[in-house]
Amino acid sequence: MNIGLDVGSTTAKVVHMEDSEVIFSKVVPSHRWIELINDGQDDRNIVSTGYFRKRVPRFAAITEITTASLGARYHDPDVQVIVDIGGQDTKVIDLRSNTFVINDKCSAGTGAFLELAAHYFDIPVGSLGELHSRATKGAQINNTCGVFAISEMISQLVGGFSMEEVIYGLHQAFAMRIAQMVPPANTVMLIGGTVQNTGIVDSVKNVLDSKIEVPGAPQLVNALGAALYMERLDDSG
Amino acid sequence: MKETVGITALVPPELIYACGKRPMDVNNLVPESSLSPGSKLCAWTAIWRDMILNGGLDIDSLVVVAGGDCHNALVDGQKVELNGMSTHYFFYPFDRDTDYLRSQLEKLTRFLGGIKDEKMFSLISDLKSKGRALDELRVNDRARASDVFSALISFSDLCRNPDVFEKTLNNVPETDVEYSSRIALIGVPPIYPDFHETAESFGLHVVYDELPYEFLRLGGSDLDSLARSYSEYSFAGSIKNRVELIKDELQRRRVDGVIHYTQFACHHTLEDEIFREYLDYPILTVQGDLPRPSSEQLKLRLEAFSEMLEVMP
Repeated sequence: MNIGLDVGSTTAKVVHMEDSEVIFSKVVPSHRWIELINDGQDDRNIVSTGYFRKRVPRFAAITEITTASLGARYHDPDVQVIVDIGGQDTKVIDLRSNTFVINDKCSAGTGAFLELAAHYFDIPVGSLGELHSRATKGAQINNTCGVFAISEMISQLVGGFSMEEVIYGLHQAFAMRIAQMVPPANTVMLIGGTVQNTGIVDSVKNVLDSKIEVPGAPQLVNALGAALYMERLDDSG
Repeated sequence: MKETVGITALVPPELIYACGKRPMDVNNLVPESSLSPGSKLCAWTAIWRDMILNGGLDIDSLVVVAGGDCHNALVDGQKVELNGMSTHYFFYPFDRDTDYLRSQLEKLTRFLGGIKDEKMFSLISDLKSKGRALDELRVNDRARASDVFSALISFSDLCRNPDVFEKTLNNVPETDVEYSSRIALIGVPPIYPDFHETAESFGLHVVYDELPYEFLRLGGSDLDSLARSYSEYSFAGSIKNRVELIKDELQRRRVDGVIHYTQFACHHTLEDEIFREYLDYPILTVQGDLPRPSSEQLKLRLEAFSEMLEVMP
């Protein structure tokens, strides 16, 4: 069995693979990552990734850039560009040229930006997609700075827009920020926990001309890639 | 004691020495600085400006390279001049006009008091030959890139003392280097003092440092030959010529990937798209601001780039 362990800034994920098939997976808050490792489990079949990759038991540690590349290709061997929207950063990987960019300098376009908005409305971040779907129009949010976007959001509420319309507008602003990082491509795969928010996926589809793919469990793609890397190490002896 | 002339970018050091002065590249002190300038665009210029204004740099005059290469220096240089520093402005031509550059070199020579010691030209030419040999040593995996970079970046002022500098060159250790990928570092030099060591820790062997190679590539034995050679200073001229030069070096040095270092608020940052279009190599772009040891964000990028070059097909 090959194990991929992704301990990120917000959640920890594990994927167990056998013969290139996923046989088990689990997600817990990051600080509870230890629950993903069985007592006495041999760490010689674990590849770790994520922010805490070098702080957990492992045979090898690799970055999320490599795991995302391997995991996304498992879902679609022809995918050209990956957008990994994490809790604290966003990574865009162009598999055609082996290049990547990471936005980790501002919160706009990261899960932290959405958490800020959800916190303001005092709603679970998981409900943003549902609220987005209820809006028939969006409030205009121009700012790509997370802090100023919240100020603008409040102004739009004062101006009479509903919470749903403001959330729709925030998702559009979020998608515009992401789009600035994405090169022209036929296929773009969105991965990461934030992609479970259907409002984000809809907004990215609105602003990019590419075919947008979302794998079944987008938050597990890096753990999957880590398990595939372990498989590769196993095969090479 | 020879007078010390601060220089803000590449100014022919052989000419300064031949005029009986000693150059001090004010940038070379920036990576170790802990200053956080209040008024700044690029931290390189803002820090040397504040160092001079605060009396932290022991220089008698300043030559500001204001045309070609660094544009922010033009303003920060004037702030230093307004504070009483004897300051001269040096302009490279964009179009490789050797007559123009010769006239600039003549003005510089007058500012420096005239040529007094012509043998400095050949002495520094010999040292640059040694530098090129050292550069080849790391290309052939016989020296650590961090050791070679430390020596080559100092060719802008030869550490203010060519005799001492020669000993430094002789002491660069020869050793077999193991690595996973060969890297070219283009753009202005990283403001991080430990960049090459950090790259090495992820298996990246830097076999080409673009700007220090310019220090070695250019030279001359009189004003005419200096004008011919330095008019080809790639950072000051057309980016088409610069791209061609880089391409030749990438091929000759058998490079696997390119790291383009950009400095926050530096106009050279805008060149990134051009390099990505015309250099057919995996490119990692990193940006620095203040001089600090390599951040975790930088380490993640270097580690991921190393993996990408090694792991991905």
